[in-house]
Amino acid sequence: MILEINNIEVIYNNAVQVLRGLSLRVPRGQIVALLGSNGAGKSTTLKAVSGLLALEDGEMTSGSVVLDGIDTAHLKPHELVRSGLFHVMEGRRVFEDLTVEENLVAATYALTGRRATSTDFDLVYEYFPRLHERKRGLAGYLSGGEQQMLAIGRALIARPKVMLLDEPSLGLSPLLVESIFTIIARINREQGVSMLLVEQNASVALAVAHTGYIMETGKVVIDGPAEKLAGDPDVREFYLGMAGEGAARSFRDIKHYKRRKRWLS
Amino acid sequence: MTFANPLPELTLPQMLRENARRMPERIAIRQKDFGIWNPITWDGYHRRACHFGLGLRALGLPLGGRVGIIAENRLEWVLSQMGCGLVGAVAVGVYSTSPSLEVAYVLGHADVDIVVCEDQEQTDKVLAALDQLPCIKKIVVMEKKGLRNTPAEHRDRVIAFDEVEALGVDYEAVHRTLVDDALAAQKLSDLALMIYTSGSTGKPKGAMISYANIRGVAPGIIDHLELDAGTTHLSYLPLCHVAEQMLTTFCPIYLGSQVNFGESIRTVQEDLREVAPSMFLGVPRIWEKLHAAISIKMQETGGLRRWLFARAMQDCAPFAEKSAQQRSFGERLVFALYYWLIFRALQNFIGLREAHVALTGAAPISPAVIRFFRTLGVPLVEVYGLTESTGMITGQRLDQVRIGTVGTCIQGCEHRLSPQGELQVRGEMVFAGYYKNPEATATSIIDGWLHTGDVVTESDGQLKIVDRLKDIMITAGGKNLTPSEIENTMKASPFIKECIIVADGRKYVAALIQIDFETVGKWAESQRLAFTHFRSLVDNPQVRELIDAEVRRGNEQMAQAAHIRKFHLLTKELDHDDGEVTATMKVRRSSIYKTYAAEIEALF
Repeated sequence: MILEINNIEVIYNNAVQVLRGLSLRVPRGQIVALLGSNGAGKSTTLKAVSGLLALEDGEMTSGSVVLDGIDTAHLKPHELVRSGLFHVMEGRRVFEDLTVEENLVAATYALTGRRATSTDFDLVYEYFPRLHERKRGLAGYLSGGEQQMLAIGRALIARPKVMLLDEPSLGLSPLLVESIFTIIARINREQGVSMLLVEQNASVALAVAHTGYIMETGKVVIDGPAEKLAGDPDVREFYLGMAGEGAARSFRDIKHYKRRKRWLS
Repeated sequence: MTFANPLPELTLPQMLRENARRMPERIAIRQKDFGIWNPITWDGYHRRACHFGLGLRALGLPLGGRVGIIAENRLEWVLSQMGCGLVGAVAVGVYSTSPSLEVAYVLGHADVDIVVCEDQEQTDKVLAALDQLPCIKKIVVMEKKGLRNTPAEHRDRVIAFDEVEALGVDYEAVHRTLVDDALAAQKLSDLALMIYTSGSTGKPKGAMISYANIRGVAPGIIDHLELDAGTTHLSYLPLCHVAEQMLTTFCPIYLGSQVNFGESIRTVQEDLREVAPSMFLGVPRIWEKLHAAISIKMQETGGLRRWLFARAMQDCAPFAEKSAQQRSFGERLVFALYYWLIFRALQNFIGLREAHVALTGAAPISPAVIRFFRTLGVPLVEVYGLTESTGMITGQRLDQVRIGTVGTCIQGCEHRLSPQGELQVRGEMVFAGYYKNPEATATSIIDGWLHTGDVVTESDGQLKIVDRLKDIMITAGGKNLTPSEIENTMKASPFIKECIIVADGRKYVAALIQIDFETVGKWAESQRLAFTHFRSLVDNPQVRELIDAEVRRGNEQMAQAAHIRKFHLLTKELDHDDGEVTATMKVRRSSIYKTYAAEIEALF
């Protein structure tokens, strides 16, 4: 296991409990998808792992996060990055006033002061040729898809062991989503980077992931191999938008009530 | 001994009309909608029920016709029920949690003409089974959301609740005396309600309840629980069950007391705190849940408070059986101290600070749970009754509580014990029989005595339920065992939610156990055991050890022969949809034995 999350509880503002005894594991070299609706606590889980909760007045009140055999409780966010964890935040967050290349240079801070060699940059440009074309352009003028590429590219510079990806498909066209996910799967395969992938787009996430967890109101309700989850009737209905027979459902037939979820495993 | 019924000689609908005349402006019902409690007066209650009933007649409901109601508790439920009564029709309740097949069975068996559905979900259940239900003329829907997407072939069959009421207003203009005539012709012997038993054995049976039955049982309940016109009640348990019927319609209409309907079944906790009713009915599961909720909070809280709570419970437990008036001066002093320190807050937390009587019934409960709430100062009493006896027939008097018994018979109810110890009762409350099932009626009522099927023991006039007559098991060694006693001993553990024993014809007792996901989950977290969901928790060996310890602790309280030697942990929660429990969450023993046959065989 490269990453283990054991029974964590997270409270925001000393008042709102968001995660209630959440556990999950990321095996070395695998992609693990974490799915769930808005407000289920997916992003909070990632922030708890990367130690960014304090920025939002959140606090991990119990449980532990173990990265490659080391408990991360005493590590600061930047130390975590240097020990091989990289969090690609939701909404890209590139430095808009810097050029593409400058953005990548900024990411070398993760390398404990070591100067990035040009091969590091070449690796990024190899996966994202589009960034190479635009490397002198301002990041703020990139399209949404290109910004997402840049965000992932910055992560690659840090040569992480585990990458936390928060909704890489957010706001992208279906075609771009597909190409981004193809590259994500390639990075995982070729670089051996383990990934914890948070997604709203369940079908594309389950297509690239090895295992999946589904969260609701701060708890995991079901987990298992991605193919098995994709075949589960509840997952199909509530996350993949399929009717019982497997065909996509017409909006005309959508009901004003929800079938009760059972989550049998 | 003949019993003189103190209530006026009126049927329930006649009584409703009487209330509307006598106290038109008094509040009868409050319904919470989007956070606001909207009152309705007795006059409004009567008028709207009349209009709805007349609307149904306008839609072609015959005199004596049947109307199915599938909804959670809400104002429209009782408006439909009383509307039917006012125009001489009969209401049949169906559990809103029932799967489509069960809904179809009840509606078909009861020969329902018109069915009143809460929303699209319930309507869909009826529509799905419509080809098996040729009698159904119309479907009335309370919530119009999604109604316009009704398939074209059914569109003329579906109508909204308020449209029916409007129809009734027009119909009244033409048929001015219809309600008066129907009420004048109504006799106490007329059929009032059909209540389908939950059916823990086989198909549901339709118990026919007459107006005389209702009038027969109400005075006893009122007297036993010391209810009056000032009583307030929060109605939340299914209205198709006799227990909620007796507290939502029978007693309040005869007394003129107030009923509250909360927002939904999911907001009961909040509604309860807002209403702070003077009477509260909970089934054992509710009390067990409240008990578990308090236990969990206590585990999470700081050391001082935990110590204080333990101390309070310990000091107040000895006089838990006494009512507030019976306590000695010293006991009152001790209780007052802890009341201000801790119990008052706890009573507020569960919303029962104003309750002067709280009931548990409909299923066996562990005495430990009753003792717990009585210690907190909640006047919890255990009552007993059947659908066939139109509700509660025995109960502990408030000043005569013996924990573990179901108290004494109510006024107007005679009882005797058969040689096997079966409780048999006689009185006006004994139902009229099962609908379309004379064989079952004949085995249930013999010479006017209702055979309850429950084995009881009696000491000092206090009855104690042993078990269902047919559930009593005989092991291969010839020992008689009462499953509910063993199961309840186990269920007193906060970690065990459900326990089903297997012993009949076996060498020893074994059990299927379902853990309580919430409390065991909390425990696992405190032990730093990682788990994701129910299944992974059950599969954890340490959880098994925990349950093993709980079972051993339970065993110590029972005779050697009743000890559970082996158990299997269920890997999923029992569910109504899978036919494993009834709508009232009673375990369907035979169905479970069949479903888990392989697991059971592995235990022996």
